[in-house]
Amino acid sequence: MDGIGQGAKVAFTLPIFGGIDITETIVIGWLIIVAVLLLCLFLTKGLSKVPTKKRQIVAEMFVGFVNNMVETTMGKKWKHYAPYIATLLVYAVLGALVSLLGLRSMTADFNVPLTWALMTFILITFYKIKSGGVLGYFKGFASPIFVMLPLNILSEVATPLSMAFRMFGNISGGAVITTLIYSALAGVSRLIHLAFEFGGIGINVAQLFIPAVLSIYFDLFSGCIQAYIFATLTMVYVSSADEG
Amino acid sequence: MEFAKVTEFLTIDPATIVLTLCNTLILFLVLKHFLFDKVNKVIDDRQSEIAESYKNADEAQKKAESLAAEYDEKIGKAKEEGAEIVRAATVKAQNRSDEIIAEARAEAKGIVDNANSEIEREKKIAVNQIKDEIAEIAISAASAVAEKEISVKDNEKLIESFIDRVGEQ
Repeated sequence: MDGIGQGAKVAFTLPIFGGIDITETIVIGWLIIVAVLLLCLFLTKGLSKVPTKKRQIVAEMFVGFVNNMVETTMGKKWKHYAPYIATLLVYAVLGALVSLLGLRSMTADFNVPLTWALMTFILITFYKIKSGGVLGYFKGFASPIFVMLPLNILSEVATPLSMAFRMFGNISGGAVITTLIYSALAGVSRLIHLAFEFGGIGINVAQLFIPAVLSIYFDLFSGCIQAYIFATLTMVYVSSADEG
Repeated sequence: MEFAKVTEFLTIDPATIVLTLCNTLILFLVLKHFLFDKVNKVIDDRQSEIAESYKNADEAQKKAESLAAEYDEKIGKAKEEGAEIVRAATVKAQNRSDEIIAEARAEAKGIVDNANSEIEREKKIAVNQIKDEIAEIAISAASAVAEKEISVKDNEKLIESFIDRVGEQ
């Protein structure tokens, strides 16, 4: 029952500014950065014009996938956004998939999707001001008629909040359901006398296969689809902010 | 691992936000610098190389086509020239052979004419000689038969008539 309804644990506390709590979310984030860095270094080792190694093909496939996604969703002139979109995708996918390793999903911590949603919000605002000017940006809230002002402000704020809560809700909800199912299956195992204990390690037979099937949906599918949705929404909002 | 404390399920923690922002930027730089820049460069290089080689191939093909056309033209000209040369040579040879034949004919005719006139001359010489011999024989025969002096005038008359008779025979 460990972890239900709980947030990220505090890994350690930095003894500055009266103690800053570093949660496991941040530590997992660092681990992912290191893993991605090593993976990138491995994949891009010995790149050549004529690919001879499988890893170059993998690297080119990933880069091509993101480039293509950015170009079709945002247009050719936004090609320089590909690394940022790739960052969101990689971080969100890996951040959700660490739950497969028994760690707490990074994106199940509301602060993470909130940070990314705020970044998207800043980009949206930046491009709106860039394309329409500061005056145009504020005028935009009162269009098409002044009465729409509160609704426009609400929708502007709702954009990042809905993005953040969508990802947080899906991933943390999946984690909660998975935990609940584990404990329920432990109860079932005890009921049908299929729970054993060897030297402090409990084995509940009913827990063996069912969670794996559910995990495919709640961890793999949900994690990937939420990352994709988040990246796509960022692309759509940012590119339309520049046009509008 | 023992954790000192656990955060709330849904909290907003400025430290986590700031650190996540830093993490995201670091990951962005990692992906950009170590993956995208490198791979994009390779892909761009390859594409420009492919475009370049396509261009070169097109140029080479065009050149080959123009060369082929040029050669065709040259071969056609050479064939025409060859035919012309053969025709000229044939005409020349024909003329030459005609000339040679005409010359040979003329020469042969000359030879035959010479031979004829020679024969004619020899014949005359022979006839004259025979005439002289016959005259001598006739004189001696006549002197033997007549045994008498005949004047030179009579002799000659007799001889002439004799020869003419012999010539008529």
